[in-house]
Amino acid sequence: MIKLTIDGKQLEVFEDTSILKAAEKAGIWIPTMCHCDYIEPYGVCRLCSVEVVKGKRSRIVTACNYPVREGLTVRTNSERVKWIRKIIMELMLSRWPNVPAVKEMAEQLGISKPRFESKEKDEAEDACILCGMCVNVCNDLVGKGVLGFSKMGIEREVVLPYNERSEECIACGACAYVCPTKHIKVKSLEYERGAIQDWSLASKTAIYVPTMQAVPRVPTIDEASCINKQTGGCKACQTYCEPGAINYDMKDEEIEVEVGQILITTGYQLMDLTKMPQFGYGRLDNVYSSLDFEHMLNSTGPTNGTIQCKDGSVPRAVGIIHCIGSRDENYHKYCSRVCCMYALKFAHLIKDRTTAEVYQFYIDMRAFGKGYEEFYKRLLDEGVNMIRGKVGEVTECRVDGEKPFLKVACEDTLIGKFREIPLDMVILCPAIESNADSSDLKKIFSISQSPDKFFLERHPKLDPMSTMTDGIFIAGCAQGPKDIPDSVAQASGAAAKILSLISVGEVAVDPIKAEIVEERCSGCRICNNLCPYGAISYIDEKKISFINDMLCKGCGTCVAACPSSVITGKGFTDAQIMAEIEGLLAI
Amino acid sequence: MAYRTYLMVCAGTGCVANNSMKIKEKLEDELLKRGIHNEVSVVTTGCNGFCAAGPLMVVQPDGVFYQLLKESDIPLLVEEHFIKGRPVKKLMYTPPKEKSSIPKMSDIPFFANQTLIALKNRGLIDPEKIDEYIARGGYEALAKVLTTMTSEEVIKEIKDSGLRGRGGGGFPTGIKWETCKRMEADTRYVICNADEGDPGAFMDRSIIESDPHAVLEGMCIGAFAIGASDGYIYIRNEYPIALQRLQVAIKQAREYGLLGKNIFGTDFSFDVRIVRGAGAFVCGESTALMASIEGKPGEPRAKYVHTVEKGLHDKPTCLNNVETWANVAQIITRGASWFSSIGTGDVSEDAWGGSKGTKVFSLSGKVNNTGLIEVPMGISLRQIIYDIGGGIKDGKKFKAVQTGGPSGGFIPESLLDLPVDYEELTRVGSMMGSGGMVVTDEDNCMVEMAKYFLSFTQAESCGKCIPCREGTKRMLDILEKITTGEGTEEDLVLLEELSYMVVDSSLCALGGSAPNPVLTTLKYFRDEYETHVRDKKCPAHCCKALIKYSIDPNICVEKGHGCGVCSKSCPDGAIIGESKQVHYIDLMKCGKCGICYDSCKFNAIYIE
Repeated sequence: MIKLTIDGKQLEVFEDTSILKAAEKAGIWIPTMCHCDYIEPYGVCRLCSVEVVKGKRSRIVTACNYPVREGLTVRTNSERVKWIRKIIMELMLSRWPNVPAVKEMAEQLGISKPRFESKEKDEAEDACILCGMCVNVCNDLVGKGVLGFSKMGIEREVVLPYNERSEECIACGACAYVCPTKHIKVKSLEYERGAIQDWSLASKTAIYVPTMQAVPRVPTIDEASCINKQTGGCKACQTYCEPGAINYDMKDEEIEVEVGQILITTGYQLMDLTKMPQFGYGRLDNVYSSLDFEHMLNSTGPTNGTIQCKDGSVPRAVGIIHCIGSRDENYHKYCSRVCCMYALKFAHLIKDRTTAEVYQFYIDMRAFGKGYEEFYKRLLDEGVNMIRGKVGEVTECRVDGEKPFLKVACEDTLIGKFREIPLDMVILCPAIESNADSSDLKKIFSISQSPDKFFLERHPKLDPMSTMTDGIFIAGCAQGPKDIPDSVAQASGAAAKILSLISVGEVAVDPIKAEIVEERCSGCRICNNLCPYGAISYIDEKKISFINDMLCKGCGTCVAACPSSVITGKGFTDAQIMAEIEGLLAI
Repeated sequence: MAYRTYLMVCAGTGCVANNSMKIKEKLEDELLKRGIHNEVSVVTTGCNGFCAAGPLMVVQPDGVFYQLLKESDIPLLVEEHFIKGRPVKKLMYTPPKEKSSIPKMSDIPFFANQTLIALKNRGLIDPEKIDEYIARGGYEALAKVLTTMTSEEVIKEIKDSGLRGRGGGGFPTGIKWETCKRMEADTRYVICNADEGDPGAFMDRSIIESDPHAVLEGMCIGAFAIGASDGYIYIRNEYPIALQRLQVAIKQAREYGLLGKNIFGTDFSFDVRIVRGAGAFVCGESTALMASIEGKPGEPRAKYVHTVEKGLHDKPTCLNNVETWANVAQIITRGASWFSSIGTGDVSEDAWGGSKGTKVFSLSGKVNNTGLIEVPMGISLRQIIYDIGGGIKDGKKFKAVQTGGPSGGFIPESLLDLPVDYEELTRVGSMMGSGGMVVTDEDNCMVEMAKYFLSFTQAESCGKCIPCREGTKRMLDILEKITTGEGTEEDLVLLEELSYMVVDSSLCALGGSAPNPVLTTLKYFRDEYETHVRDKKCPAHCCKALIKYSIDPNICVEKGHGCGVCSKSCPDGAIIGESKQVHYIDLMKCGKCGICYDSCKFNAIYIE
């Protein structure tokens, strides 16, 4: 501990404390304009100049980076100090007269009008005052070093290398956060096409809440974009989390759980719209997927729920195109089932929130559920334009003096004409697909896929939630496109099936099983992959194959296939069969 | 092979720029032609110092000094001196206002009044030959240190000598070494600061050019004393000759085992690396220099934690200037008491109590003998300017001398008897600096001079801290106002206030000293400022906006008969007048270039 005196107050602080921190502890305010707690003091604004007295001599030092020393006497408000601060503020005011942070500080120090005229005057309210905090944060805290100073003396400025957008910048926004004048702005990439990442229209920080409806609603750290994970630096969240809930060492982990039954509800993915370039997704402004639009409608979304074009204007006409990739010979032959109804919901919300004209481009209207047809009727009454026919393409048109608009070319089969509709916004309803990795799942669980890649149920009518493998159940869109009520119903049914087995406690199985004579098994593993029920596995330690009695259906495939003839049906050995035959013949 | 005569041709940058290498070739040709090339040898040396007299040559062992040589002089010189034995008087140095020339170098006042320590070998050895350095006692000190002394003894010797930093700060070198040694660390560094950025200063360059091994030996000794095994020389890339000679010297020293592992068979290992600076003035500041070596932007940091504690790569680092290092070996060889017998004050109690040894200055400006000089501390400025410098050019009146480079202060005539001493120079508002010395005469406007030097420091400010970046620029704006006749009395007050504030609160010594020229001129030549502000006149006729050229009609007609030379030479076409008639200057057109003033043979044109 070190004893020192600041403005007559005696105090004791730890070694390596700066005068600024010590003064803070003593409740003495020292002005600063280039200091923040989480970076090394830079000492350039010189506003924190204080007088350090040693014997009869005194000298001016900066409080932010002067380490305390035993017996130090500090004056933070002497005439000399006030005079220095006054001139510094005059210099700053003459250069940046309109920056609020500078004006506030000047006011606090009682300075109104500078005596200097600056030739380099910058009258912007968000002018850069060269405090260097952004540069230091990027260098020292983030560890990226994207920002730096260029030029010397009065021409000094903060720049990105070569004044170009840096590849190194991870858009963490730390620089913008520390900037006292809001000179640095993180350019929003949310509407820049290509930057949209599957589920999100908005850029997100490394710490985020997956969805606002998530349960439990807690933030998570995105390892791919967390600065600490990339550079080992930052740790700003740890510094600021008061309960100390941040733990960088937590890892994603694989947990093994032993279970008796499994319900697969892996859902679906939306078709990649860039596969159908004629609709302009990713290429034209204001062409959105239904999910993008859903995000826009969300009150916590990027536009706070207002429906707007990329330039911020309210669309005058919106087109909703159904069956993008569904009911299409080239992509998916099946109907995705949910699009018609959510398209109608969109139309309703657009009508509700804007004055835009809404066009629905559909092939057939499939409002099959409870209350759906009524909703469709209501929409017709609301004045939604229904155009029955497939859309050929979406193009962008530019007319001099007007903002560009989109044009949808389609065939109207009801009036038998080819039509071109001008629109400000187009929403595409992509097909529901089975997940890209569903084939992997199929292998893991030894279940089947129907030709449309969705998991195959045991029986389409009588047992739509079981699979051919006992104990493996499916529900929701993993089984086939369906809406929420249907998914819930199917999942409930599957859950009931599972529970019924659990409540019995014991499972009665068919006695007809295959059996391996362990001593004679050569471990060739031919049977392993042949078993349609995944009942045969290989035991590494014994180097033999093993049949799980619970899974085996006694089909006999392995019996026939075993080259060593060591697999037999229990109760159906060759000898037994021969004996039976002999017995029969003897009669 | 021994020669009867050695011709020491100066190959310092100044002489090389004045064609001394051609002179050397011509000499060799001529000696060959005359068949005496086996008797007379031509040697290229580092800077001799008397740059005003270059290209120059010293004949050894006679010590005859030849100056301002031209290629056409060589045949005569060889014929007369080296064949017939008659030194050529017309090529020798003749002091101003005197008739007879001085043949011997040692008799020339420029040399006679100097004391050489750091420049001991200048002009006497070929800097690219380590053997010549060793022959003059080189590396003796290193041998002595490594074989007979402990590091504590070395430090004590340096402390006792009273050697202080020659880069300008004047920090006692021994104390610096001692502190550095005391710090606990696994690695320590020594650095030689050869980033000489002052305009018109060339001490460090000349030392390296004429005696690079002296610097290396000094660094070696320093490294041994503090326990370092790595050294850096930070040198400007604009010094190609110095850089090349350093590279040669390091290579030779390594070959001789004087750098590298187990020097002199001891456990001590040390090697030096050269780092080339890109020419930013601020990189001469120690922390900025270290940042630059580390590959970071060359910006200074606060030195509340000294570099001897946390310097290069946060390790204890001992940084000294070229000249400081060059003094070290001499102190070891000849002893601390010899060194401390030269100079002022007493350093036995207080290390800051005096200035010991010598100081190298580059003397420039309005003196007759410009060049590089090494003088004992305590010599008066008057002696330097009048005895060594040979007085003011063209018999003009002395006005002020600026010491310490662009951020040094101006010292007026009333203080000319001031001894050269760190504290004395600081007391009058100037500084020792790295050793620039610019002499001004009555034709120099002090406001203009202050503005000139401030414009340099302002442009070289790195821009990191507000006082230096904004403050110096505002000061320069005010000076600009004053020199263009728009200044007010309030501006003078503001200028002074701003200057003091920049000195007080800047981050590094650049800002802390940049206002010195302004403050000293305000102090000693305030009347000049006031004339600019009140009367809108420049007494020295320098500030263009405040002067006007006029033609005296009487002289023009009576003496010059309206010759019209002025009118023909005027680039602006501003002079009107018929032949044989009075000429007039159209002030609206006049660009104030002064060509007419210089061209009028009758002095009919005068400045108001």
